[in-house]
Amino acid sequence: MGLKEYVARRIVYSVILVFAVLTVNFLIFAMMPGDPLRQYISGLQRRITADEYASMRIQFGLDQPLHERYVSYLVNMLTWNFGRGRVGGAAPVVDQILMRLPNTLILMGIAAVLSIIAGILIGVLVAHKRGGLFDTATVTGSLITYSVPIFFIGWLMIFFFAVQLKWFPLGGIEPRSWGRNPPTSIPEFLAGRISCLVLPTITLFLFSVGGWILLSRACVLETITEDYVVTARAKGLKERTVLYKHILKNASLPLITSVAMTFGFLISGAIITETVYSYRGMGLLMWDALHPPDLPVLQAIFYVIALCVILANFIADLLYGVIDPRIKYG
Amino acid sequence: MATRKAKMGFAIKRFKGFWNEFKKSKRGLTGVIIVSFFVSIAVFAPLVTPYDPIEPKKDKDKYPSQTTPPKIAGKLCNPAWYKYIPWIEKGSTQLEETFWVKVSRVGGLIFPKFGRLNVTAIDELDVVEGHISRESFDKHREDAMYHYISLAKAAIAPPQIDVVFPNETEPTKLPNPKDFWEPRSAAAVGGSEYGSPEYIAMRSFIMPIYEVFGQEINYVILKVTYEYSKDVTENLELVPDFEFSSEQTFNEEWQWTASTDSASAKYNSDEGYRHDGCVEVTYNPKPGETQAKVILRRRFEYPYWESPQSFWGHLSFRVEGPKYERVNLTVTVQRDGGELVPVLTLSEGKSDLFRHKAIWSTDPVVKETSNSLSPEKFLFSSVGNYTFAIEVSFNGTDNASVYLDNFNMLLYGNSFGILGTDNALGYPADIFSSLVYGTRVSLTVGVLSAVFSTIIGLFLGLVAGYVGGITDEGIMRFADLFLVLPTLPLFIILVVALKTVYGTVSMWNIILVLTLFGWMGFARSVRSMVLSLRERPFIEAAKAAGAGKFYIISRHILPNVFALVYITLATAVPGAIVTEASLSWLGLGDPSIASWGKLLYDFQGSGIAVTRGLTEYWFWMFPACISIALLATAFILMGYALDEILNPRLRMRR
Repeated sequence: MGLKEYVARRIVYSVILVFAVLTVNFLIFAMMPGDPLRQYISGLQRRITADEYASMRIQFGLDQPLHERYVSYLVNMLTWNFGRGRVGGAAPVVDQILMRLPNTLILMGIAAVLSIIAGILIGVLVAHKRGGLFDTATVTGSLITYSVPIFFIGWLMIFFFAVQLKWFPLGGIEPRSWGRNPPTSIPEFLAGRISCLVLPTITLFLFSVGGWILLSRACVLETITEDYVVTARAKGLKERTVLYKHILKNASLPLITSVAMTFGFLISGAIITETVYSYRGMGLLMWDALHPPDLPVLQAIFYVIALCVILANFIADLLYGVIDPRIKYG
Repeated sequence: MATRKAKMGFAIKRFKGFWNEFKKSKRGLTGVIIVSFFVSIAVFAPLVTPYDPIEPKKDKDKYPSQTTPPKIAGKLCNPAWYKYIPWIEKGSTQLEETFWVKVSRVGGLIFPKFGRLNVTAIDELDVVEGHISRESFDKHREDAMYHYISLAKAAIAPPQIDVVFPNETEPTKLPNPKDFWEPRSAAAVGGSEYGSPEYIAMRSFIMPIYEVFGQEINYVILKVTYEYSKDVTENLELVPDFEFSSEQTFNEEWQWTASTDSASAKYNSDEGYRHDGCVEVTYNPKPGETQAKVILRRRFEYPYWESPQSFWGHLSFRVEGPKYERVNLTVTVQRDGGELVPVLTLSEGKSDLFRHKAIWSTDPVVKETSNSLSPEKFLFSSVGNYTFAIEVSFNGTDNASVYLDNFNMLLYGNSFGILGTDNALGYPADIFSSLVYGTRVSLTVGVLSAVFSTIIGLFLGLVAGYVGGITDEGIMRFADLFLVLPTLPLFIILVVALKTVYGTVSMWNIILVLTLFGWMGFARSVRSMVLSLRERPFIEAAKAAGAGKFYIISRHILPNVFALVYITLATAVPGAIVTEASLSWLGLGDPSIASWGKLLYDFQGSGIAVTRGLTEYWFWMFPACISIALLATAFILMGYALDEILNPRLRMRR
């Protein structure tokens, strides 16, 4: 099987995933008992006549059979036609999502890259000096940050760095003073945005770095007793070369698989981090749509998030195929 | 029988061996200790806490009135042990604050000497030649509805207000500042209820301007000097023996005076709401007498510098005798040297049964009677000796007697219990109780969903691994699908859907959702383990001996997979606990049970600003967060220790 076929297979698999997400979304909504119009009508806050009701059913396509509704749902979702929700008033949901998606992606991207790099480096170091005090402390610390709820990390960060030390703003996506005097130069703009990004990023970083340390430590420990490592050492190679060239390279394969998985994990953290910091991203949009609950908007957000995760997975899979020489593209 | 005994002995021996191994792992031991601590707290929750967190009503049947004391304490209380902290503010301090105040004409006229001006407090002004500049004046025009100054701290007495007029350096003293000053709570002036716990000393907006000398001005500077006090106050019951069940206590604690000889008060041991004693005030008028007054007094010491948060009072009474005339009852509170403040006035005719009256310091009637916007502050302004009294005044010429019972006043302080109180349900609930009961929810959700999802994962993994073929492919693709999907958004959608269907979220919904999407990772590892086991010689031998699929799975494969089950159980619990907490934190928890996540959701949704919340109400959120983290970490540590012991490859290297 060649590279082309491998890519094609991954594409097909990703498309299937997208359809699975859409189907799950549709099923959740279709299986709910009761009249889907009821909530909409109660939102109108007036009595409606039977004629109006009937025309509403036609307008929303509720008179059609289930499979036709499914098809039109698929078409709407694939063309990103999410309609309007209670969130944000008159603005279409898709506009709001598109406005906030980059913020989330920036936050998640930086946190993911930082935590992967730092996690792997620390993990390798710790595995190398396993059994020592540093190892014990790091592993215990990772286990703790891995299990501490992320909003607690966020609150602690806010408490120490925003409330007590006043180094960074409390939250939001840009400094509050921008409301009165917006930034004039690009460096000023960047500085303002970055100062607001620091705390959420650190929070998300702490949330995910523990898992990476543990994982890379375990992977390195798997390979560290292999024969070729002994050979490399016997050859007189420098310890660092052995560690990062021979051990890490071979230990990195399961790590790359986990990179794909990490986005799903990280987005859960991002939702809560954004809520804690009132960071205007998808997570905060989700929070807004939750109070009061607006299921279609939530589903649209979920769909977009899932799309991003699937795309990230796809890219990770491709990278996996490129990096691993042993892979048979299967 | 013998074999079973032998088996048991073997099992015990094996467990002992395992335990000896486990004991060596410090992490595992820590985990076990923490988990058993939380389990014991969860089991003995009712013994640990005195209150049910959801229904924290105290003294439910103590008072006969419909309105039983609705509180256990004031809302948003500090922990009771705050009073032992040396750096917590106690006592009173003098403060001076300066306000820039915009003034504008009323009715288009400024009288040269004794004018009345609108006053609006503003932050900063551009002053040009003694006048506010036009821009700055216009800028603040829309603020004109807020005609008040809010002091940073709550003043306990009318402040001294000095006015500095433009172009003058010497301040003019307002001769009667009390006329301009009214204490109001922050909520009353449109601020958030939690924005400022200190009530705001505020003045009404009409202010006479003295000595303006015909000069037209549009701003003045107010220098306000006032005293504020801060203390850790606790609940206080003014009448311990409020049921009047002992004559001796009555004689010791109460004094009475009567305006004439014909009226008197005495203890009556037979009457009373429960026929357990009450106070009888009688009036036997001599000819020609038409009225008499009896005052019952009880002196007490109010030991706190700060006023109580609120109070609740109760009185049961029965009037006997007069045909037409009414008896007037007035409950008053007086500070030594201060004015007598009526709290409750009643005018009652005769009745056969006891009547009950409960009052609450927020009742408009109480505010009107005491002629104050915050009666609790007006009545109990600061530390001192007070007199709590009831006046009974008779009219007419008929013999009359009044029976008084269940007479009490409860003052609610600002500190309570081990971790204070919240105000999530509209009334204060003990945070410590919620925390303790929350252990039950977290443990139940965590353990049950971990067990269920592990069972499902084990079953599907075994089936996929051993059966193989299309079953394997189907199960694993399905598992992959759910592994890729972001879990929290999916959980949110599912829980919202369940909430829409059932109207509310129950703990079981969350367990269901966590179970449905928790099995994939474990099923995968079981499958891969089964795949490698399947090729081992002993399975082949069993097959050759004619063993069936079920027999092989249950007897040969399952025992080998079981080490993995323990590890997964221990590591799946914290995930479930944290996810449950996160969902509740997002407001998708069971509203009818006290869980840790709900505690945090309440904290977050309380309207307290983050800065204040984290610094001043840390005891609300911190213990719950720590508990979640501790419990989750404990399970992870246990799982990690198990992993090191049961995973042979790791054991080698340790």
